[in-house]
Amino acid sequence: MAELTRQTPQCGTCSPNHSVSVLLDSDSHRLVGAVDFDGDDEAVDEALQAVFGVGSGSGAGGEVYTVVVVNRGGEEVRAVVGKYRNAWILGRVSEAEAVAKAAEVFVKVFVNGGKEEGLIHGEFMPVGADGTLVLSFNLLNADPRDWIYDWDFQTVDEILLAPMVEAMKPVANISVESQVLYHVPKSSLSYWDDNWDSYIFSTKDLPFFVNSNEWHLDTSIAAGGRSKMLHFVVYVPSAKECPLLLQLPDGQISKTNSFISPMWGGVIVLNTQTCRKDSESKHPSRHTILHEDLQKVFEVFMGQFRQLFSFKSDNLYVGASGTYNLLPSERGFTLWELDVLSRMHTCFNLHSCATTLGSLSRLVQSLPRMIIKDEIGKQVKYSLEAAKLAQTNASLGVYDASAVSSRQARSLAEDAFFHPSIMSVSYYSFEHCFAVYSPFFLPVSMHVILAALREWRRYKKENKKYLVWKAKMKDAL
Amino acid sequence: MALLFLLLRPILLLSLFHFYPISQSEAASGSPAGEDFSEELLLRPLPDRKLLAHFHFQSRAPHTSSDGRHHHLFPKAISQLVQKFHVKEMELSFTQGRWNYDQWGGFDPISSSNAKPPGVELWAVFDVPHEQVDDSWKNLTHALSGLFCASINFLESSTTYSAPDWGYRPDSGSLRYGSLPREAVCTENLTPWLKLLPCRDKAGLSTLMDRPSIYKGYYHSQRLRLTSSEFEPEGVGSGIVLEQTLTVVVQPSSQRTVRSYSHETKLQPSWSLTSIFGRKVSSRCVLAKSSIVYLQLDGGLIAELDSLQNENKIYSADNYVSEGVRSNAFFEVSVKPDRVLKELKGVEKKNPSVLYEFSIDKYDESGPFDLGLTWKVPVAWSCQKAPLHVSRFLMGSGNERGAIAISLRSTELTDELLHTEKSEGRCKLEVKVFQVVPWYIKVYFHTLQVFVNEEPQAVSDVVEKMRVSPSVDKLSPGVMEMLLKFPCGMKSAAITLDFDKGFLHIDEYPPDANQGFDIPSAIISFPNFHTSMQFLKDDSSDKSAILSKFEENSAVLAYTEVLLVPLTTPDFSMPYNVITITCTVCALYFGSLLNVLRRRVGEEERLKNKEKEPGRLRQLLFRLYAKITGRPLEPVESTTTSSSSSSSKLGFIILVAGIAVFWQVYYG
Repeated sequence: MAELTRQTPQCGTCSPNHSVSVLLDSDSHRLVGAVDFDGDDEAVDEALQAVFGVGSGSGAGGEVYTVVVVNRGGEEVRAVVGKYRNAWILGRVSEAEAVAKAAEVFVKVFVNGGKEEGLIHGEFMPVGADGTLVLSFNLLNADPRDWIYDWDFQTVDEILLAPMVEAMKPVANISVESQVLYHVPKSSLSYWDDNWDSYIFSTKDLPFFVNSNEWHLDTSIAAGGRSKMLHFVVYVPSAKECPLLLQLPDGQISKTNSFISPMWGGVIVLNTQTCRKDSESKHPSRHTILHEDLQKVFEVFMGQFRQLFSFKSDNLYVGASGTYNLLPSERGFTLWELDVLSRMHTCFNLHSCATTLGSLSRLVQSLPRMIIKDEIGKQVKYSLEAAKLAQTNASLGVYDASAVSSRQARSLAEDAFFHPSIMSVSYYSFEHCFAVYSPFFLPVSMHVILAALREWRRYKKENKKYLVWKAKMKDAL
Repeated sequence: MALLFLLLRPILLLSLFHFYPISQSEAASGSPAGEDFSEELLLRPLPDRKLLAHFHFQSRAPHTSSDGRHHHLFPKAISQLVQKFHVKEMELSFTQGRWNYDQWGGFDPISSSNAKPPGVELWAVFDVPHEQVDDSWKNLTHALSGLFCASINFLESSTTYSAPDWGYRPDSGSLRYGSLPREAVCTENLTPWLKLLPCRDKAGLSTLMDRPSIYKGYYHSQRLRLTSSEFEPEGVGSGIVLEQTLTVVVQPSSQRTVRSYSHETKLQPSWSLTSIFGRKVSSRCVLAKSSIVYLQLDGGLIAELDSLQNENKIYSADNYVSEGVRSNAFFEVSVKPDRVLKELKGVEKKNPSVLYEFSIDKYDESGPFDLGLTWKVPVAWSCQKAPLHVSRFLMGSGNERGAIAISLRSTELTDELLHTEKSEGRCKLEVKVFQVVPWYIKVYFHTLQVFVNEEPQAVSDVVEKMRVSPSVDKLSPGVMEMLLKFPCGMKSAAITLDFDKGFLHIDEYPPDANQGFDIPSAIISFPNFHTSMQFLKDDSSDKSAILSKFEENSAVLAYTEVLLVPLTTPDFSMPYNVITITCTVCALYFGSLLNVLRRRVGEEERLKNKEKEPGRLRQLLFRLYAKITGRPLEPVESTTTSSSSSSSKLGFIILVAGIAVFWQVYYG
């Protein structure tokens, strides 16, 4: 067992190479009777949490991840990861196989978050330096003269988003706002395709889909200077381009008809039912998006949101030694996923703190004449202290505290870097000195050069004369 | 029973008010939040052959439980502004040009609320404890400058804003007022302003806002007024009301050759929307509750037309106040008005004005709306003026001290009013003056002098109430609030204040400091006079926004001119001049020294002796040199003469250096 744990590869998600204490608990008395593994996964998960969840949280704040291996015959091997910090493996497995699986569940899922490689790099985390995140939901009516769609966002906010916001509280302080915009056409072109009987826009047009000229999404005064905004856009196409479908690179039509842009947000194209404008009526038809449709839209949003945090939007993880079922949480993120996010957030903050301080030190070294105030030094010192604290807390497993101090470290580092005194000093350049002294040194250097030239010419002449004289002397001799 | 009814009535009214937006939204089968938007345009011919176009957009957001986070029509940015800074009331205006109070009217709702001082003016009332008001103001200015692409953030520093007590508006304590007279206003301010409208300038009346034709006008003022009752208990106010107005005065280019009449008056220019803005209204903004264009004929104009009618005995059925008539003996309107509204006679009202109402619901791309007015008869009239004509100017010369003078001249209106008031026995004309001066204009308030009919008066006789907060250097501006009471029959009055000009630090000078420094406009208001226009008798709630705005009793006020004070400015290039001169002198000295050091006198003499036959050019040069030095041209032999010649050369060098220095001093 120890060998296997040592085999764990260094994870890219910032967690340092630390030792994992594994508690092998072969005593099955506690489980028998308490958990019925024949029930559905949800029930099993709840029961396991009831058994193991009580013990966790005690001690030095360390959370305990549990992998239960139930060895029984008959069925194929099935591995499920629950909503809390538990996973279980059912079926006939040999001991070595079970250990391999358990190790994989721990390393790939619990530690790495079951992320796919190359989806979004883990170093970006859409949470602001002050730990806030603003989700801005926008309903875009491309042309309100055709039809006007409205939504009842209030209920959506209360029913669908509030649990997610609540769940994410340890990681980010999320606030939600919404607006409806009109006369906002997309800026990329789409073409009519007879096969699909609709307008098609392909993935290569996606960079031009968001029309930043006309879509005035980014005016949020509620968002403070250091908070991050994510835009989610529901785009209702006009009659000229309806229905509008997204074609994937393999020629298929996207099922969700949506796409994300990392660190910016996501876009969903919502086609209207009929795509036909009633031409008789001068007034456009007004609709409110039905609650069922809105629910579908928000499921897609939730998937996009998970993807923006570089999680998978589906609940299957294909590992090296089999497939794992990941139980989705109705709150968007499971407990172990939040742990992953918390670690990621801490790591991202520390990383950016280190980069900022690094560039500050490079700046200071490159400009030796610059006057640095003591205040900046203090800020750097506190930032480093906070970073150290965050690191120790993270290795102890106190994720909340480490997230807080890592945030502090990052914002202090940024304070130091963007200190107004540095700003003014960095504009005083060497060229300024040059401009002041050049009226003196330019004429002086002219004199010196002319004198040197003359001297050189004279030397050449005299030298020639001397050589002639020498030759003469030689001849004379 | 009567008591019960009285008690019931507010409840009924309240419930009516409450149900109204909901029923409206149901009729529109959309917006459940009950946010609404309306667009209106008022056109008014002005006596000096110009045309006033006044766009009025109003958005409303009722109270919601979501703390204003979810919006359907109302601009999110504005709502967030209100929520974050606890703004109770706010007005921001961007103006270019000066409102002509004599020609364009000084006693009507448009002039009292839309005539604004040049540049940016901002005032706001906050709903926060007194000690936090300044912080809220600073944050608000930053947010607004980001929102409107303007340097409103300059109003952040305590030297630029003031806290008027009673001189500007009654809200004391939490009111802050600031203005930037030199701010240039252009399209980059209009575009963000348009972004707040749900249709922007894509549809509706705002499509008329063709940038060149707006900005080439004589006056344009873009205004944003915000009233919020968000922080009052539920159901008291009507949520947030955002009023956006754009007031433009343009000169219609006369399409036809102006026929000269025997009268001294010329025919008023005929105009249409296409001739003014170069565009037509092809469709309404589909999101607007109402989109209406009004054509207003001034009270003075109507009176003039009446008298013309009587004079010429034109007696025809097609009166200009009857409904649905396009043409009459005086002018022709290109579109048949949907409604003609006549102003109800006010209390002390003179001639009623007439409104033609055009609803643009029924126009579309195939038949766009293009309103035009063609005059048939020359008419001359005058607008109703403010009680006093106000102007402000500077006195004195030099860079040390001066004086500010505000002069008030009575207009015919005051004469009339004073006559009536005299008969009633009470005889006073109250004038409120509110003036903010920057700290570098050090006003001595004890030098206040008041002249009535060019006779000096004791200050205590005229000044009823005065509040002065003297300026503190680099900290706060000087604020003066005064309530003056003038006697009847006054023809003219003047107030003068002496001031010293302060010195600024070299860093505090703005770019182009030699242009001078602007002193913001003073505000002269007349507390006894109020203006309102009522066109409809019923209190129906579907009254258009602009008409209900007209009905509000607004105080008559006038802004004075912006003053331009030249201050002593240092020579900003002086350090560079000194550097250049010093360096040149040093370089010359160094050069001559180097030459002298390098010279080998003995060798040169040998060379000269050798070259008995110098070149032709050289000989010529020598001759010239001899002429200049005034010595006979003779080949020099001895060492003594050669040394003297080299010293004369040195003298020549010093002469050249002297000329160079002279040149630098006088021309450099």
